[in-house]
Amino acid sequence: MKNFTPKFLIFLLSALIVGLGLTYYSLNDGRFIGAYQWGSWSAWLKAGSPKPDPYTKAFLALGHSVQLGRGEGIQFIAQRDENGDLLMRNCNYILKGDTPVAAFWTLRATSFEGNSVTPNNAKQNIHSSRLARNNDGTITIFIGPKNRTGNWLEIHGKDLFEIVLTFYDAPILAGFGGNIEQMPSIIKESC
Amino acid sequence: MSKTFLALFAGVLFGLIIHLSIILLLPLFPSTNAWKIFAKIAPIGEVIILERPLPGEANILRLDPELAYAVCRYDLSNGPGLLSGQLTSDFWSVGVFDKNGVTIFSTTGSSSINNHLQVGIFNPAQTRLLAEQQLGMQEGLIIVEAPRNQVFVVVRYAPPYPQMWERYSKVLSKLNCSYLSDSSAPLEINE
Repeated sequence: MKNFTPKFLIFLLSALIVGLGLTYYSLNDGRFIGAYQWGSWSAWLKAGSPKPDPYTKAFLALGHSVQLGRGEGIQFIAQRDENGDLLMRNCNYILKGDTPVAAFWTLRATSFEGNSVTPNNAKQNIHSSRLARNNDGTITIFIGPKNRTGNWLEIHGKDLFEIVLTFYDAPILAGFGGNIEQMPSIIKESC
Repeated sequence: MSKTFLALFAGVLFGLIIHLSIILLLPLFPSTNAWKIFAKIAPIGEVIILERPLPGEANILRLDPELAYAVCRYDLSNGPGLLSGQLTSDFWSVGVFDKNGVTIFSTTGSSSINNHLQVGIFNPAQTRLLAEQQLGMQEGLIIVEAPRNQVFVVVRYAPPYPQMWERYSKVLSKLNCSYLSDSSAPLEINE
């Protein structure tokens, strides 16, 4: 009995940490398992499929129910920059690079609950057809509270946020129009 | 020492069991899913337009503010569902979902004929009647088989500019969300 309690505590704690921790991370942004990960970006590739895997089903049960079907497009979410740091609303970020081919795409900054974190009088998102592109066709988008020229998505507040990049009518999953790895990187500029 | 290691190992194993149990049980007890939300605002067989999410306001369904959304719910025990209407060449897509938010079918306007939306949704018994040619269907109807009777359809429509959101929402509100048996494209019972 003397040795039982500490060992039981080790058993209990490790079970809870592994059980709940793994569940949280796997359903939050699909880390480890469930969602596809590329750099900062994650996407639930099977969320729009008629036969989702058990992780995707659990993800859907958490209220993320109006998914894009595979025939409609695909959505990527980033909660971290390229160094792995969580995105903060009081920091300024540069989103740089290329995007997969799609009819169009939109980029939004939201809280983890999906609410927009842009100020009331600012634009809520960036649209691919209303965007200034670099000479080589790549994109540079500034996201943060600091006023910038060019493509700037203003955000406010001090909490964490996520970047939602949605591709509509994207043939990525069919193997046409570029590939899924063709995603822009998220670089922290300043805080 | 070995007993401590054994407790840790057993804890990790038990943690994995906890994790898998949560993943498998979550879909049986969904928190707030789209079906529950739509059940409050969308009567069966009626098109409703989802409100545009505004900055600072809750966006539970994580809607893209760039798009207009129409939702229609069906109970297929009342007969095969029919969603039809005329849209424009701007991007639109349609997704058919079951009660748990699993995508049964999805497509975009680019695969339609003259941007005419015409989707018939059938349960397995009704599909069997179709296969046995006991039901006659209008040409051009996209036939979707839903495994269960309770389904909802989400139509996304992308205005070229945000200022045109209202106008595009009005077009969506004119979609016909009905049952094949009471539409102008009648469900014919072949003797």
